[in-house]
Amino acid sequence: MLQLLYRSCGLLLLLTGPALASAINTSSGWNMPPGVTDISREIYSLHMIIFWICVAIAVVVFGVMFWSLFVYRKSKGAKPAHFHENTTVEVIWTAIPLAILVIMAIPATATLKKIYDASDAEIDILVTGYQWRWHYQYLDQDISFFSNLGTPRSQILGEEDKGDFYLLEVDNPLVLPVGKKVRFLFTSNDVIHAWWVPDLAIKKDTIPGFINESWTIINEPGTYRGQCAELCGQDHAYMPIEVRAVTEEVWLSWLDEQRETAAAEAASGEREWTLAELNERGAGVYTTYCAACHQADGSGMPPAFPALRGNPVMTSAEGRDKHINAVLFGRPGTSMPGYGTTLSVNDLAAVITYERNAWGNDTGDAVQPSEIRALLDR
Amino acid sequence: MTSRSLPRPVVQQSASEATAGGAAAGHHAHQPRGLLRWVLTTNHKEIGTLYLLFALLMFFIGGTMALVVRAELFQPGMTFILPEFFNQMTTMHGLIMVFGAIMPAFVGLANWMVPVQIGAPDMALPRLNNFSFWLLPVSFTILLSTLFMEGGGPNFGWTFYAPLSTTYAPPSTSFFILAMHLAGISSILGAINIIATILNLRTPNMRLMDMPLFVWTWLITAFLLIAVMPVLAGVITMMLLDINFGTSFFDAAGGGDPVLFQHLFWFFGHPEVYIMILPAFGIVSAIVPTFARKRLFGYASMVYATASIAILSFVVWAHHMFTVGLPLTAQLFFMYSTMLIAVPTGVKVFNWIATLFRGSISFELPMLFSLAFIVQFTIGGLSGVMLAIAPADFQYHDTYFVVAHFHYVLVPGAVFAILAAAYYWLPKWSGVYPNVKLGLTHFWLSVIGVNLTFFPMHFSGLAGMPRRIPDYALQFADFNLLSSIGGFLFGISQLLFVAVVILCIRGKGEKAPAQAWEGAEGLEWTLPSPAPLHTFDTPPEFVPERDSPSRH
Amino acid sequence: MLRALQAVLAAFFGVQSERNRQRDFQQSSPWPYILAGLFMAGVFVVLVLLVARWAAAS
Repeated sequence: MLQLLYRSCGLLLLLTGPALASAINTSSGWNMPPGVTDISREIYSLHMIIFWICVAIAVVVFGVMFWSLFVYRKSKGAKPAHFHENTTVEVIWTAIPLAILVIMAIPATATLKKIYDASDAEIDILVTGYQWRWHYQYLDQDISFFSNLGTPRSQILGEEDKGDFYLLEVDNPLVLPVGKKVRFLFTSNDVIHAWWVPDLAIKKDTIPGFINESWTIINEPGTYRGQCAELCGQDHAYMPIEVRAVTEEVWLSWLDEQRETAAAEAASGEREWTLAELNERGAGVYTTYCAACHQADGSGMPPAFPALRGNPVMTSAEGRDKHINAVLFGRPGTSMPGYGTTLSVNDLAAVITYERNAWGNDTGDAVQPSEIRALLDR
Repeated sequence: MTSRSLPRPVVQQSASEATAGGAAAGHHAHQPRGLLRWVLTTNHKEIGTLYLLFALLMFFIGGTMALVVRAELFQPGMTFILPEFFNQMTTMHGLIMVFGAIMPAFVGLANWMVPVQIGAPDMALPRLNNFSFWLLPVSFTILLSTLFMEGGGPNFGWTFYAPLSTTYAPPSTSFFILAMHLAGISSILGAINIIATILNLRTPNMRLMDMPLFVWTWLITAFLLIAVMPVLAGVITMMLLDINFGTSFFDAAGGGDPVLFQHLFWFFGHPEVYIMILPAFGIVSAIVPTFARKRLFGYASMVYATASIAILSFVVWAHHMFTVGLPLTAQLFFMYSTMLIAVPTGVKVFNWIATLFRGSISFELPMLFSLAFIVQFTIGGLSGVMLAIAPADFQYHDTYFVVAHFHYVLVPGAVFAILAAAYYWLPKWSGVYPNVKLGLTHFWLSVIGVNLTFFPMHFSGLAGMPRRIPDYALQFADFNLLSSIGGFLFGISQLLFVAVVILCIRGKGEKAPAQAWEGAEGLEWTLPSPAPLHTFDTPPEFVPERDSPSRH
Repeated sequence: MLRALQAVLAAFFGVQSERNRQRDFQQSSPWPYILAGLFMAGVFVVLVLLVARWAAAS
């Protein structure tokens, strides 16, 4: 009975092995993507070479093992031999793996050296990790923005069907031109994150106080998605990366567009906003930046994350300054960060206004961008 | 002068007492009974049993946490627990399995088997032995209690990278550090005891190269423990200072270096990985020859390979850090040194297979687990070679491919070896053979469950699923479904092992003779089954030409 | 001392002939072997480092 099991297991392994391997080779959902850069293709072929070498080793080793198990069964009357040492054989099976490893190390070294050569880049981008979003700064183009998770919370909570790019979509993607050497500089604002886009074969830790670098030349236009790869706290799963690779003309016009939006945004900081305008914008900002901890309904997760709904700081006139202060500069000793340097004055004014009026807080306060500007300039 | 000579007659008296059986029994009658007997015991077999039962309990606690994780990952979406609690579960699962289950299980096996394999009456330092065990329940009570503290337990992964584990950590982190210190002290004391026992208490004529491989691997493991546990203690002390006393070892804002944390952690962490696998090599090297009825092939090269792996383990730590931005030369150094580890590891596997070759093989329970170990550990070893290739590791790092790799080494690897050891030595411990029907069911369900859990993780990792995420993109759904089903199958089937152990403890089953397995060699099989509480009060006879595993 | 180095080299490679092993284990003191082992471990690290530097520079 037992032997039958063994025989069938061995047979199963022999039959399914190659089938499984070919499935790995062809279907993209099983295997590392070859990607869209020369480096990513090199890494992919390196990966496949090592993979097949490992498969070959496994077939030989397990083949000899299962053959021995089958042939030298006691139940078939096998009598044990008495050898227990053979210097020649031992030298051979030490030397062969050593040789295989040297053969593997040569192309690996060559690829690694290419990856480390970030010289002559045409575009520099500073990538900064935040809990839990990415910030991109085009160093020579004077453009910078945050990139937040684009998947609505209702999909995460299962109240709505999940989209095709569930957890892999953002509000503001990183837009890059194809065919140009782009250098990335990586750092972090809080804990260690890792910026990973499989199709570009870039994975680099973003470390507070350090700057790491990497580079890419994207060969094909398209949208390439990735995720934060280093555990960075509760919303580690919710800070994806979306890179949109476009032709150079499209990229240049996108840059112009970005500059115009930024100018319009700066101008609107000067004017007086209505309560309705602030509330509408504030609701969006709240969902992106505050809801992860304080929850969409303002109930929070006490004691770590206090409730905002019905909180005296948000409902009384006396709390107004304290409230603005907390949002702008954070609350030392707690996990509440200051948003004064990350969000625009419009967003800050809007979200504070929203928090003072939503969920029955109903103070009727309208905090103006100009007031926030004055506080920040002080 | 007189005061110094005073104790002498007392010593002689107790020696003569020990030789006279009746007097010795009278002496032991004074021992406390009931619970206190276990609290105060200094007997290596009882302490070994305590270690093993503690490890089993922790295995189920850590396993339950793994099942909570698998339940959340059963489907995409936030379905069952919040991300914050998910992080606490993955962290605690890792810490408990590493420090509470696998390490204590190996120490328990060492406690039981090292003295009887070298013909010693007990461990060299019996009171220290008691102390190092009882530190563990204290340590893990503290660790588990953090889950009920304000802000929750540790949520930064078992590797607890700073500054997530310092500046951004929950308030309970200082308790976590205390718990780790206690577990570390326990390990260091245990290691000292094992080294002292092996170097001093071998029966006359047994040279180092006459020791069973389980003793050899534990000797080397114990040196590794003494070398790296203080590094762990140092790094968690630095964390404690950063958190409570305003230092900035790992805080970049204060001029500190978060990467320093990783260097220190992995200088401990990589040898730690071998601490969890070397004794497993020793176990398999004992079981395979027994059931192949043929001596272990290449005993000396097994010892050399173990030592080589131990030495290499100190110069490969940064392969866990290929993506932190090391300079090119460092990257190449750690890539080459890591690849070299494959050589001695390969030698081990080849030696086991050469032992099987032209043997007379039968498939008892310990043998089944050992053979499964060889196959599954080799799979984990081969994916380890892939991970060593630095450029490819940029794609593998921190994905489920890594999770698959180290679980293959630790679960179908180390855990299977521990189970093999339990099935192998249970007749010696309890006097009865483990129930074959239950054992076989346990084995096959475990093999199916463990592979169903961890094999699909290779694919989800290669396809791009990062580690430690409570929610994932839709293309990973099928693999996660399989892993979750496998996880529950593996977890639940371990209850069968508990049933096997309970039956053995209650003496239900076929009675085992002294030589419980036909082909087994070693001093432990000269003792009656079950082994009496006190054995080898007089050193057993050992003739190297006849009894040594390295004889001609 | 030379014999100790030779034995350590054999151990690093993992294979040693039975005759040499018997000879080594006839020695009265293990210290030459332990010192040679530590020394060779250092040499090994320097060697790999040199190879890495050479590969990075070439």
